Amino acid sequence: MRVIIMGCGRVGAGLAQRLQREGHDVTVLDPDAFAFRRLLSEFAGRRLQGSGTDDRMLVEAGIERADVFIAVASGDNRNILASQKAKEIYGVKRVVTRVKDPLRAELFARLGLQTFSPTKVGIGLAHDAVLRPAANTEGTR
Amino acid sequence: MYIIVSGGGNVGYGIALELQRLPDYEVTIVELSASRANALRDELGEMVLHGDGSEIAFLEGVGASRADLVIALTADDGANLVTAQVARHWFKVPRVIARVNDPRNEPLFRKLGVDSIVSASGAVMAQIEATLPEHTLIPLMALESAGLQIVTMRVQEGAEVAGQNLRDLQFPSGVLITIVIGPEGAEAPSGDTVLRPGHEIIAVVPRDAEDTLRAMVTAPLPTGDAP
Repeated sequence: MRVIIMGCGRVGAGLAQRLQREGHDVTVLDPDAFAFRRLLSEFAGRRLQGSGTDDRMLVEAGIERADVFIAVASGDNRNILASQKAKEIYGVKRVVTRVKDPLRAELFARLGLQTFSPTKVGIGLAHDAVLRPAANTEGTR
Repeated sequence: MYIIVSGGGNVGYGIALELQRLPDYEVTIVELSASRANALRDELGEMVLHGDGSEIAFLEGVGASRADLVIALTADDGANLVTAQVARHWFKVPRVIARVNDPRNEPLFRKLGVDSIVSASGAVMAQIEATLPEHTLIPLMALESAGLQIVTMRVQEGAEVAGQNLRDLQFPSGVLITIVIGPEGAEAPSGDTVLRPGHEIIAVVPRDAEDTLRAMVTAPLPTGDAP
């Protein structure tokens, strides 16, 4: 699959390396070239410096032929804008969007984006760790 | 009428200043920067709140569900797009206006059903165009959902419409001549209204009628061997 990942933070970099190792054609976009330090030198995908909300960069990253667009930049609103653009303007079939705010994640899921909220997941984990410690048999994970 | 303005920059401030003068209008300005919000508060008072206009929980606190209009005017297109959709789909606000800073984002805003789009670069272009004599039709505002535009036109000497009664003119279908501004000021036009060179016309027009209308108010180019 041709995959574009917006944002080379810990999630973006880790996901890029994993998908690339699994044989996918991966391009990572980040406006800050320093962010690419998180990628191991063995990463054989493409590193592209630029903003994922900028049409010129998206086209350069190959959005018109991409199968997957994943928005994991730091800002919720930027992730939503870029994802809606990938889906509505460029017709990317599979778009995944990180939205930290659980309410916004819920709303935009209702509006057709495949969102996930790490905040909501974190709340769930912390809640269960307190109230159902027995369920968490692995210790840390 | 309750209006929430997201973004207290120059544009948001200017709009809020205008709106708060109107009787029966209640206006809240939401500004993300604490220092900017404090500065605005010194001048405008309680109507200014420090907060994030794209945050659902915050908008709930400022009564977004009873808002009649939400205007997203920040310099951040992502925030404006999210605010507009949150207002429309979460709080069911009947009317939503959003500013587009990067003109390349316009098709997306349009597609996602924002009622009206305010494009800063579009507005600047319109101002520049207004000073050029050959530009006789200037779009003022897009009414996206209806596929209509509000435009202003200036009648040129020698144009097809100059000296004619409105009744006798064949405008493209769907064109609504709303206001005619002459030397005596603005008037609501009737069939007897005569269009004169220099008159300004405000009209609601379908998008695809723009070129025809422009040709009607513009003097034809001199043909052949003009001096």
